Order: sequence, then C-alpha cells, then structure tokens
Amino acid sequence: MSTATVHEHVDVPQPPQHGRPGGYLRRASILTGLVGGIGLALVVYWVGSLWLVPWGTTNAVTNLQVGADALWAATFAGWVIGFMAGIGAFAGPIRWALGRDLTHADAEYLAGRDQGKWRYWRYTTDHKVVGVQYLVMTLILFGVGGFLAMLIRTELGVTWAEVFSPDFYNSIIGTHGIVMIIAMIIAITGPLGNFVVPIMIGARDMAFPRLNALSFWLLFAAVPPLIASLFMGGIRDGWSVYQPLSAQAPTGGVGYQITIITFAISTGIASVNLITTTVKMRARGMTWNRVPVFAIGIIASSVMGLIWFPMFQYSQIMSLSDRMISTSFFNPLGGGSVWLYENLFWLLGHPEVYVIVVPATAALMEIVVVFMRKPLFSYKIAVAGFAGIVGISSIVWVHHMYMTGWAPSTNYPFMLSTEMISIPFGFLVLVLLGTIWRGKAWARLPMLAVYAVIWNKVVGGITGVYLSDTPVDQYMHGSMFVVAHFHFMLMGAGLFGAMAAISFWFPKMTARTFDERIGSIGFWTAFIGFQVTFFSMFVAGLQGQPRRVLQFDGAFNVSNWISTIGAYVIGIGMLIFLAAIIVSWRRGPAAPANPWGSKSLEWQVETPVPLENFPVLPVVTSDPYDYGVPDPYEVKEPAEAEDAKVGAP
Amino acid sequence: MSTTDDRPSADADGPEEPTNRPVPADHFREWVSRPYVRRIIVITVVLTLVIIPMAWLTLHFMNLSGAPASPIMSEIEKTMFVFTVVSAPLMAITLAILLYSIFGWGRVSGDKPPMQESPAIRGNRTATILWISVTSVLAFFLVVWGMIELATISAYSYGATPASDQPNSQKPLVVNVTGQQWVWTFEYPDYQGVTSATLVVPKDRPIYFNVTSKDVVHNFWAVEMGIKIDANPGAVTNTGVTPTKLGTFNIRCAELCGLHHAYMETSMKVVKPDEFDSWIREMGGRRTA
Ligand SMILES: [Cu+2]
Repeated sequence: MSTATVHEHVDVPQPPQHGRPGGYLRRASILTGLVGGIGLALVVYWVGSLWLVPWGTTNAVTNLQVGADALWAATFAGWVIGFMAGIGAFAGPIRWALGRDLTHADAEYLAGRDQGKWRYWRYTTDHKVVGVQYLVMTLILFGVGGFLAMLIRTELGVTWAEVFSPDFYNSIIGTHGIVMIIAMIIAITGPLGNFVVPIMIGARDMAFPRLNALSFWLLFAAVPPLIASLFMGGIRDGWSVYQPLSAQAPTGGVGYQITIITFAISTGIASVNLITTTVKMRARGMTWNRVPVFAIGIIASSVMGLIWFPMFQYSQIMSLSDRMISTSFFNPLGGGSVWLYENLFWLLGHPEVYVIVVPATAALMEIVVVFMRKPLFSYKIAVAGFAGIVGISSIVWVHHMYMTGWAPSTNYPFMLSTEMISIPFGFLVLVLLGTIWRGKAWARLPMLAVYAVIWNKVVGGITGVYLSDTPVDQYMHGSMFVVAHFHFMLMGAGLFGAMAAISFWFPKMTARTFDERIGSIGFWTAFIGFQVTFFSMFVAGLQGQPRRVLQFDGAFNVSNWISTIGAYVIGIGMLIFLAAIIVSWRRGPAAPANPWGSKSLEWQVETPVPLENFPVLPVVTSDPYDYGVPDPYEVKEPAEAEDAKVGAP
Repeated sequence: MSTTDDRPSADADGPEEPTNRPVPADHFREWVSRPYVRRIIVITVVLTLVIIPMAWLTLHFMNLSGAPASPIMSEIEKTMFVFTVVSAPLMAITLAILLYSIFGWGRVSGDKPPMQESPAIRGNRTATILWISVTSVLAFFLVVWGMIELATISAYSYGATPASDQPNSQKPLVVNVTGQQWVWTFEYPDYQGVTSATLVVPKDRPIYFNVTSKDVVHNFWAVEMGIKIDANPGAVTNTGVTPTKLGTFNIRCAELCGLHHAYMETSMKVVKPDEFDSWIREMGGRRTA
C-alpha cells in the first residue's frame, strides 16, 4: 500500500465566510448540557404537574394514573432536549437558519483543535474524539450491566432463599438486558467504527462530523432516563418489555421507552454517517475490492441497524402512547394485539444479534491477517457472507414467535430462512479458518483471543441451529438454554470479540501500549468462567428451567451453583481486563505508530493521530492484505517453480 | 513446533516435485495427501467421535425429570439427537483447525512483528466448494428433517394417533387452560363444572388444550410432554398431546409475567383412565356430552 504521507501544515483556501466566529458553541460543554438538561426537565416537571396530572384519566386496564406516566415521559424528553441544546447541538442549525454559517475557525474549534483533554467533554466533531467518547461510554455501560449480572447470578446461586424481592429481581434482569444490548450495539461500531474506519479508508473525518457528535451525545442523553427508571419502580418486564405486561409497569417504565426512542435516533444518525463515509470518502485508488473488510462489516451492521431500529422505536412510541393517552395498539381489551408488539419488537430484536456479531467478526478478520502474516483467505466470500447475513436476517424474526400461536403455519418458512442463515455465517467461519490455515501465528493477545472467539461463535452458532428448529424450540423456548445460547453469541462472539478488537486498536486509539500481561490474565480468566457459566446453563435449560425466574425446582440447583461460581470468575476476569485498560491508558509506555506491522492505512499515520489524520491524502494501490510469501505448495510450471524457490526466503 | 516450516523441503512433509498442471481430481488427491491435511482429517474424525456421545448426554439431562412422557417429547428428543450428530463434524473440523494452528503450524512470540511471513493463500477452490457444499447440504438436511418433525408433532398435537401400539379411538379430552397472574386454571368443558388448579388427565387419550390468559402473556409449558404455547389475553391458542406415561409431571410458565412469574407452576398428573373417571366424580363433574 503506497501512502504519500507528508507531515506539513497545508493552508487550504477558504470560501467566503458568513458571520463572525465564536458565539455560544465556544462556551458549550457537558456542564452547560447538564444545566440545560436538568433545568428543562425541572421546568417541564413543574409545568406538567400543574397541568398534566389533574387532567389525567385512568387507564381502563391497569387503573394507573395516565397523567403520571405522561408527566415523566415529558420530563425525560425535557432532559434529552435540554441537554442537547445546552451542549450546543442546535447552535449550528440555528446559525444556519439565521443566514450565517459556521466559519472555518468555528469548524476547527468544534473539531477540538488545541483544546487538550477538555475536547472530550464537549460537542467535538473530530471522529477520533467521538470514538474515544464511545469507548468510555461502552466501558461504563458494561460496568453497570456486568454489576447487575453479578446480582442476578447471586440470586440464582442462593437457591435456598430470596436475596432480592421479586420486584427488584425483575427490574435487574430487565435493566441488565437492555443496558447490555445497548452496550453491545455500540461496543465495536461506536469506538472502532468512529475512530478507525475513517482513517482506514483514507478520509480526514466522517462525512458528517457534526452528526457524529450528535449521535454520541444523543446516546449519552439516552442513558440517564434508563438509570432513573431503576429508582422509579424499575423495568420489570425483561428487556423485551412485552405488552400488555409493560402496561402494568410502574412509572419507571417510561424511562425505558424514552431511552429506546432516543437511542434509535442516535443509532440511525451514526449508521447513515458511517455508510456515507465509507461510500463517498474513500481515498483515491481504494476501489470496492480494496476496502478493508472491517469497514465492510461496519457498513453491513449499520445497514441492518438503519432498516430495523425504527421498528423497535415504533413499538416503544406505540407503547408509550398506550400508556399515556390510552390508545390500544397492543391492548387486546381495546381491540389491539399483543402479536403486533411481538412482531415489531423482533423485527429489530433478531437482526440486532447480527448488528452486534457482524462487526465483531469483521474485526477478527483484520486481526488474523496481521498476526498470521497472511492475506485474507477470500475477500469475496467474506463480503458475500456479510451480504447474505444482511439479506436473510430481515426474514427470520418470527423464529422468536414460534410458540406464540400467532401464525403456526409460518413456522415452516421461518424455520427454512433461519437455518439458511447458517450458510453465510459459515462463509465467515470459512474465511477466518482459511486465513488461519497454514499460518504461523504471532502469539499475542489479540490473536489468541481470536481462537477463543471462534470457539464461542461455533458453540453459539450450533445451539442456534437447534433453536431455529421449531420442534426443539417447543421444548427450549423460554428456557435457560436460550439464555445460554444468546450469551454465547452476544457475549462470547460479541463482547470477547470487542475485547480482542480493543486490545488490537488500543495503541492507535490511546497512543499507549496495552499491558498484555494483565490483559491476558483478565481475558483468559473471563473466558474460562464464561465456559463454566454458560455450559452449566445449557444443562439447566435441558433440564427444563425457565428463564427470568428467581426461585426454581431443586432439580436445577447444581447447575445454577456452577453457573454462579463461573459468573464470579467472569466478573474477576473482566475487572482485571478493565484494570489493564485503565493502567495502560494512564501509565502505559508510548505506543509506536505501527506496533503490529500492519499494512492497513490506520497504522501508517503517526500516533497520536493528528487532527484531520492525513496532511496529504493517501493513494491506495492494493488491498491492505498484501502479506505473505509465495505458497510453496502452489503448483507451478517448472520455470515458475524455479522462480518461486529462488524468491522464497 | 514453533520452528516447523511447512514449505516443501527434503523432509517427508514435502510434495513430490510437480512437473505439469494437474487436472482437478489430481489436485484434490494431491491436496488430501498433504501431511497436515491428513492429520487434520484424523483429528476431526477423533473429535467427531468424542462429540457424538454429547447427543446422549443432552438426552440424559432432558430425561432427568421423567421425560419423554409423550410421543411429541420423543420426537423432540430424536430431533435433538440428530442435530447433535449432524453438527458434530462441523464443530470437530473447526476445533481441529484451531488446535492444529496452535500446535501444528506453530507460533512465534516476541514484541516485534515476525520477519517470517506465512504462505500467501488467497482462496482455494477445492476447500471453498467442499465447505460451502457440506454446510449447505447439512443445513438443508436439518431443514427437511425439522419440517417433517414439525408436521409430525403438529399432527400429534391435534389428535392424530401416535405411533404407539396403544389403540386410540377415543375422541380427545378438551381442557381449557387459563393463565392469570400467577396461577393456572384447568377447566374440563366435557364435564360440567370441573375446574382444577392441577391438571389431571388419563393416560393414552389425546388431550386438546384451548389456552388463553386473563391478563398478560403467559406461556403454558408442559415440560415432560414437550408442548408449549403462549397464553395470550384476548385470544385462544391451541395445542394438544397424548400422554403415554403415568406419573406426575411439571407445568411451568415460560414467559415473564410479572412479580411471581417464578412461582407460576403446577403439576400434571397422568393417571389410569378409571382413576381419571373417579377423580372427575370426586370433583363433582357430570358428563355433558
Ligand atoms: Cu405466567
């Protein structure tokens, strides 16, 4: 890959500027955001409690005060809007509406030029800052979700008593579920999609830098309502918040809905941005067969998110409307349908698994080529695998509804489509195994992690094939077997894949060397704990333990004890891995620009990566997988064989 | 092993010097004759033989509580068995390649990127065609198997004669199942006024369930019978089973339904037909039809 990189400041001629630089956006930060958000929330609550509650009617089914739900939904919405206004998200559009645009100086200020660490606390448009912000947010969400997971396993391990009240237990399983889903959806696309992809394709930033900042801060604003709901009765209905159960939920339930509605907007914006960036901003010479496979995986994931997230969002808008203004989309007593909710929910609910697993798999491919010093086995098969998954993932959602009685005859075609998705999934495994084939592995943490993740992926994939079969699902649906299966996919493939990817790109993102010794101890401890926990959970499921229970038949005691011990081991491992991240980030030795000897563009720029990445945009002459020596087994004409022998080291 | 080099050399690992471009069949034969390919095949076969007993192990865990108690459950277990056996080679070959990569092709360590590069393999027609055709054939086999099984258990659910030697000419016993937070109620419309909190049914007679809910979505799961269907408010769903084993079995709610979801379970007693009749009399039931 040829990259003409000249590190000199280049003065770019500017178009005529409208208006003076400066103004509110130079004063906005997370602090003004908090002031705006809390301020507007208080105002809305005060005004609303004067007007909404006295007018509130009573919900016919649940006898709940509709007014209180509407009040809290408005208050949470006030928080989100106030926060976004306070942090300066609307400053650009308002100026534009007033006939003045951001000047070049403002754009550079927004990008965080010369602002040191403070730029991480602002509405900064630099894609690298947004990537780091996403990384920290991901770690915080995993911390919260992981802590709740420990509480769940504690309850399930203490088989002789209720540790928590059933209400609190139900709200921790619901909150654990949705926090982890959000964390997993952003875990790779957020930090690495934002930080790495633009550099990887030879761009100076994302296509829409301000939308990039918007997508992150919307995510940030979406989280507090979710946390607040824990203190307002909690999300007691699982992460799937099925109707009409969630209509009975305490007021905290609206926190979930505001969070999802906001998060869906954030995801949509981020997806559009990533897709547009990769389609339109690739360096000269980066034809579609030279785009790094990680960028393709991020596109595939973004396309699925973009198409299917709105379904989830609609389901929550309709739920909110059922709660607040007594519509009956999902309330059978008013002519609604619970199956409508289930369909809308699973239209995202299933593709979401691929939204998570596809970028994780693409990241593994980038890792394997570097550590095997081999080209990718087949770029075309990898892309065909991603395309197949994107296509088929949109027609499989009913396998979550085999047992709902909605339309039993559809079980046949959906069993077909669901089992067919294992074929493109197999393409991805083929590419990974083909790239490993006959390579001499450079045994570093990111590479060894790949072996672990492939194992998890295969276990998750095969148990998924069981569940895709309706007769087997008739036994397994709603049991712990399902829980173990999707943890193998989301955690085993997704989270462990993200850990591999973060340890790989850590030196570029933080300019520090990752402490592999501590990191490896953490990773392998967590991996062993993971196998113990979830294999034992498969057994509990086979024995017939339903999911989402806090007490159960004594027959399941042993497998639950083993799972709980395993879960504590995971917890310890994850804390050690987190310690490795924090210690390396604060005090690790400075990282060289290309510690892995990778040929991909992001490793050719200096570390720390300068603003706008490339002083002179690179020109690409091959794909980034140009490793390896001629294959000695490759059958050659005699003359060629002689050449190969001479050329081989 | 870390210094092993798979490039052909004087040692036995190398291929014979090729002199001209072989036809595809020769190419395949040459590929299979490579030492590492042979070893991986051996490891795969061994691992497959190790994994297949897992099929019995899964059934062992499923049967701990007395399953299978119906032909439907037997079919489900048969399907589980077949799926494990069919997936075993795929799991084995993946594991074999991973293990051979770590222990066979060797590793290098160190802080600097290794100077020695691996063979630049970009694609391999033989391996690709093999992989894609094997995974596709297996997937299609499982789909076809699943569809036949689904048709079979659906027929059993709706009163078809199970493939057992029991004569089965009676008309199905209808039971109306109602879920409500957090109890199950069983009503026998064939017998006036009989409702019960536990399900009591005669052996070897088809039972037909009308399932509904009074409040939220529940899921009626008769564990050892292998039947499961959502209990939805405002709708009736159906399932059915012919119990073929005497004993007391489990009914659990398999859909989160609020506060006491964990405790929403009851038992299902399968009794001899005459015991069932006397139970109905005890409950004060009279035949309505
Ligand atoms: Cu229930």
